[in-house]
Amino acid sequence: MSQILKNQEIQDTYDVIIIGAGNGGLIAGATLAKEGLKTIIIERHNLPGGFATSFVRGRFEFEASLHELADYGPPENKGGIRRLFEDKLDLEAEFARVPEAYRLVLTHPDKELDVSMPFGVEKYLDKMEDLVPGSRESVEKFFNVAKEIRSAFRYIASTHGNPDQGTLMKEYTNFLKTAAYSAEEVEIALGIPEKARKILNAYWAYLGLPTERINFTIFASMILVYIEKGAYIPKNRSHGYTTALDKKIKEMGGKILYNTTVNKILVEDGQVIGVETLNGDKIMSKHIISNASPTLAYNKLIYPQSEVPDIAYKEVNARIHGMSAFCVFLGLDASVEELGLDEYSYFIMEDMDTSAVYDSWLELQVPKGQATVVINNAVPDCSPPGTSLMYITTLFDPKAWENVKPEEYFKIKSKIANGLIKQFEEATGAPISDHIEEIEIASPETYARYTGTYNGIIYGYEPESWDSLVPRLMSMNDDIHIKGLRFAGGFGARCHGYSSSMSDGHTVALLTLQDIKKGGDSHE
Amino acid sequence: MSKDEYERVDVTVKRNTKDLFAFTKLVPERKKRIQNASAEPIRKDPMNKLAHQLHPIRQYLVIDKIIDNTKTTKTFKLIPDPDSETKQLAYFRPGQYLSLKVKIDDELITRPYSISSSPREALEGYYEITIKKEEDDGFLTPYIWKNWKIGTKIETSGPEGFFYYEPLRDSEKIVGLAGGSGITPFRSLAKSIANEDIEANLTILYGCSDEDDIVFHDELKTIEMENPEKVKLILILSCEEVSLEGCETGFITSEIIKKYTDPENSSFFICGPQIMYEFVEKELEALNLKPKQIRREAFGEIKNISEFPGFPKEVIDKAFTLKVHIGSVEKDVPAKATESVLIALERAELAPPSKCRSGECGFCRSHLLKGDIFVNPISDWRRDADKKFNYFHPCASYPLSDLEIVVPRD
Repeated sequence: MSQILKNQEIQDTYDVIIIGAGNGGLIAGATLAKEGLKTIIIERHNLPGGFATSFVRGRFEFEASLHELADYGPPENKGGIRRLFEDKLDLEAEFARVPEAYRLVLTHPDKELDVSMPFGVEKYLDKMEDLVPGSRESVEKFFNVAKEIRSAFRYIASTHGNPDQGTLMKEYTNFLKTAAYSAEEVEIALGIPEKARKILNAYWAYLGLPTERINFTIFASMILVYIEKGAYIPKNRSHGYTTALDKKIKEMGGKILYNTTVNKILVEDGQVIGVETLNGDKIMSKHIISNASPTLAYNKLIYPQSEVPDIAYKEVNARIHGMSAFCVFLGLDASVEELGLDEYSYFIMEDMDTSAVYDSWLELQVPKGQATVVINNAVPDCSPPGTSLMYITTLFDPKAWENVKPEEYFKIKSKIANGLIKQFEEATGAPISDHIEEIEIASPETYARYTGTYNGIIYGYEPESWDSLVPRLMSMNDDIHIKGLRFAGGFGARCHGYSSSMSDGHTVALLTLQDIKKGGDSHE
Repeated sequence: MSKDEYERVDVTVKRNTKDLFAFTKLVPERKKRIQNASAEPIRKDPMNKLAHQLHPIRQYLVIDKIIDNTKTTKTFKLIPDPDSETKQLAYFRPGQYLSLKVKIDDELITRPYSISSSPREALEGYYEITIKKEEDDGFLTPYIWKNWKIGTKIETSGPEGFFYYEPLRDSEKIVGLAGGSGITPFRSLAKSIANEDIEANLTILYGCSDEDDIVFHDELKTIEMENPEKVKLILILSCEEVSLEGCETGFITSEIIKKYTDPENSSFFICGPQIMYEFVEKELEALNLKPKQIRREAFGEIKNISEFPGFPKEVIDKAFTLKVHIGSVEKDVPAKATESVLIALERAELAPPSKCRSGECGFCRSHLLKGDIFVNPISDWRRDADKKFNYFHPCASYPLSDLEIVVPRD
């Protein structure tokens, strides 16, 4: 390293070090800085946000990954994220409401379906009854159980993962009775007709595992929060609120180092003592919150490696790594009116056989389903007049891409993107391929490139029942394998997704604060 | 915390007691699965490996051959430096560039150069970059002419930039509008079309001010002869005396474009010196093209910023002080109003990472704490929230007052 760069090295001690400025890291950083702790966030990219960012091509600023922020809610019925942003952090970020829940289009000739669903539980139930006469009672039951589950989650979180069994038995029986089952099992038990289940399950791709494997409680609470509180998106794409968080964290005395890669988490006698970076910095702390996954931390970052206990490797190997994604970002030289695109959110699948769609992500081919958003239908001025901004998302198991050679890579991306564009055109009739002014295509490689996430994974560990939110919350202390090291974000206890990662960042910050108070080893 | 109002229903999934019992087994089940799992570390990470192959942060190269193309233009053949970690060259798309990092005296500077060889040649183990000695580029090209020899080590970025043919977006009738050394990306593209790595047709309208300045003439003519359906080269010479046959004289006007191409159904790619863009874009306006039909290569740093509309004339001769925070260093640095903030930082040996030098790649993104800057609209690629929260790209920003800035380290 040159002398010039050596002179810029940082040697310092902090109360808490946060590795990564993704959703979990930023919220953890903001929470701790607000509490007055000496906090530093170290981010490898030169931007905040991780996946929650944007990029500019030509006349367009593209959203990098967010479809719909859950748990934000309207001003009169604030969700957890709005309370966090407005009431706790007074954040300078504007959000727009997504007008309708979703349009679901099934394209298989024998199973055709094309429905648009509204937000609001009552409206949703009415629409469902119209589409599937006789479904109201069972679907209403679904929402009532979902509400009980949400209350149970709040109760369990308030006990830091140590709920009183008696209280659970008395107050949250339905939660207990469904917590070990898949979405499909419980929906059938509730007597929801098949067609209504197809419509209800449209959101499954946001969690990325088939309805016969996804845990019911996490699935039901996700559907409830979207339908009840509506969905929101940031007006200046995700970069709008992540940059607002950057500003807020600094105002509250926190520090953020960009373009700085942590390559070692230093551990001594089972206790973290600090980190080293590729820039030669040595920053010390007894408390580290890693927004990088346990997979990455245990396998690549802990130094010396002999400090990683077997149980840590076992935990990572037992859990099921989730999906990566494939995204086609399109800046179109026609307005949504000209294109006939009325909705914000389109779920397009061959059929609601979620296992078949999931299996299509295991091969290098055009997947059998996509989730597509048209941003102008929530933020009309997100692109210049006469243009529109949309993107198509599907998922992929990174294994499907494992043998791709660099020289084939661009052609494969183009081919899959083309298939997805055709899929969208056939389902909606909108002639988008004639109007592509800007296009960018992201693959599992792209997600690895920009965030360093293990194998390009955008979702965390798959929430099957045994590893869904509740067993994770109740195992939080058992999952600490190195003293002082906690994890926040998409691989954290609340499972993946924007709002879950942010709530997780908040919770983990508060737990770290507790650790510090107990240990009495604050830097001050 | 608010409590939900909801109707208590009664759910049975399998059997009442079995359902309750299933819950109590969740945590033990998780424990058991973890206990029974392998304790082997995970060593493979194929997507990060592929990312590293396609987008290495740095490539360490060495000059293997130098070809004199014209009196003022040389092509440097670069191969992996055998003493370095670079074993393979990153694959790329024709039209992409390498950002070269050059140390002159103690000052580290970067310059983007289009790769003039084909992607297939990168697989064979080499890149070529073609550099014209610029009279107005101060010290870099004279330095290169004097110092770069066979065996000189060169540090570059991975392939960068968005100036490439994208079949889902562009017409397969490509028109390259090249000026001077702006021919280099089109040589790469012509080769890729000739060897069928890219399925498209290319018509190059190549403007030069002198016959002696035409780069790759014979080579491009050979490609044209061997691929008459796919590649076409038309020279447009602005010098008084022209001896070459079949050339147009003057500049790349809308009449010439219409004569050789099918404007309505083509995609236009422009690469050349700044002055050429200004001329060609006016000519293209007459053709009523859609914005999607015109793609421009970023032309690097603007040299005459004070002549651009909106630049405040009263600061032209002024110098300012930049208070710079970079890593653990805090330092005051002198800066001229008419030079980019990046240049001032490089001169002070406090350079952030940089690649495109055109405001486009965002690699040098820095935080403006105090002071005012001028950003030329044509190189303003900032995100909306960056404008709102005072983040800026030093390569495309000029100080209008003393500044205080936080700069990322390279």
